[in-house]
Amino acid sequence: MNGLLDLSDRTTRLPDTIGMSCDPASWIRAIAERGDRAAFVSLFNHFAPRVKSFLMRAGLPAERAEELAQDTMVMVWRKAARFDPSAGSASAWIFTIARNLRIDAARRDRLAAAEADAIEDSPPPPPADTLFDAMERADRVRRAIALLPAEQAEVLRLSFFDDRPHSEIERALGIPLGTVKSRLRLAMARLRSLLDELR
Amino acid sequence: MIRHHPSEATLLAYAAGRLPEPHRIVLRTHFALCPACAQTVRLATEIGGALLDEATPAALSAGSLARTLDRLDLRDPAVPAAPVPVTVAALATGRWRWIGPGLRMMSLRPRDAHDARLDLIRVAPGMELPSHGHTGTELTCVLQGAFRDETGVYAVGDVAEGDDTLEHRPAAMPTDETCVCLIATTGRLRAQSWLVRLIQPLIGV
Repeated sequence: MNGLLDLSDRTTRLPDTIGMSCDPASWIRAIAERGDRAAFVSLFNHFAPRVKSFLMRAGLPAERAEELAQDTMVMVWRKAARFDPSAGSASAWIFTIARNLRIDAARRDRLAAAEADAIEDSPPPPPADTLFDAMERADRVRRAIALLPAEQAEVLRLSFFDDRPHSEIERALGIPLGTVKSRLRLAMARLRSLLDELR
Repeated sequence: MIRHHPSEATLLAYAAGRLPEPHRIVLRTHFALCPACAQTVRLATEIGGALLDEATPAALSAGSLARTLDRLDLRDPAVPAAPVPVTVAALATGRWRWIGPGLRMMSLRPRDAHDARLDLIRVAPGMELPSHGHTGTELTCVLQGAFRDETGVYAVGDVAEGDDTLEHRPAAMPTDETCVCLIATTGRLRAQSWLVRLIQPLIGV
């Protein structure tokens, strides 16, 4: 297998803040309720290096990735009161902020001031019957991904990280586009049933 | 009742932030009518969060945290204000251009740097379009009426997803209602018909 597809860095697990349990949702709440800078520092230490790494893997140069990682954390500070744990996990929320900043930055880099209006690509709010604890959900999604067959986990990761159209992914994987699409469909179906089993 | 949905690959690309803006607008129009796909996007966003958590932390430059802390109480312009969502209604301020008998188009977003564009198309009931394909991807969401092609019948909220392998001959269903669709495309139209090729440069597709 070639180096491009070596996705073996899946060993890192959540808690890494020394001597502290990692509870990003409560840190965000502390920021929202009392502008808690210590909570922000914990959040920064956990997420900023990961956002930078994520953006670099998605194709941004290191310097740009770090700028956007810092912007992401500033946004987290400002929008903390708008974080809704019933709508998704803290990681997913921060991922969304980083993603939107990247879209926005790319647009401004290309189109300068021509585009006055921007778009917020937040997922629509969930219906009431799908609400469940955000921490638990994030954890279940993580465990479900770990249980996916390797080739399904791989297409899933590629669709997030590899900033190329599927036609190029198909070339990298050496499988036809139809197979990439059907593998993604299988991966999502398997993920859904794993999530049900882990409930 | 929605019968035609975007592919999982497209929904994941949406959640990953990897689709051009016109395609994102078409999908959001669909999500407003399709709780199932909205749910899939939420799951895909959770996958993004999980992949973010498991990313190997990258070393930050010296003073990164201090610089960020300094910015917390500033209203600096480096971070854009919360973006305003764009609605189709807000974009549809242009005029309907006559393309052919029973066929009009309105450009909502001209071709952008990703080679993507967004248009509304209005087709009179029963009117059939000439057979054509596309060099890129096409996402269509029906806003009013219905149309059919070789792949099925598409009604309000349904999404038709075409790539460069699709060769189709869509026709508005012969009902009372004019069929109106929101269409995001990349690439160009491929047409066998000399007539379509003749008008192609005029309508810019």
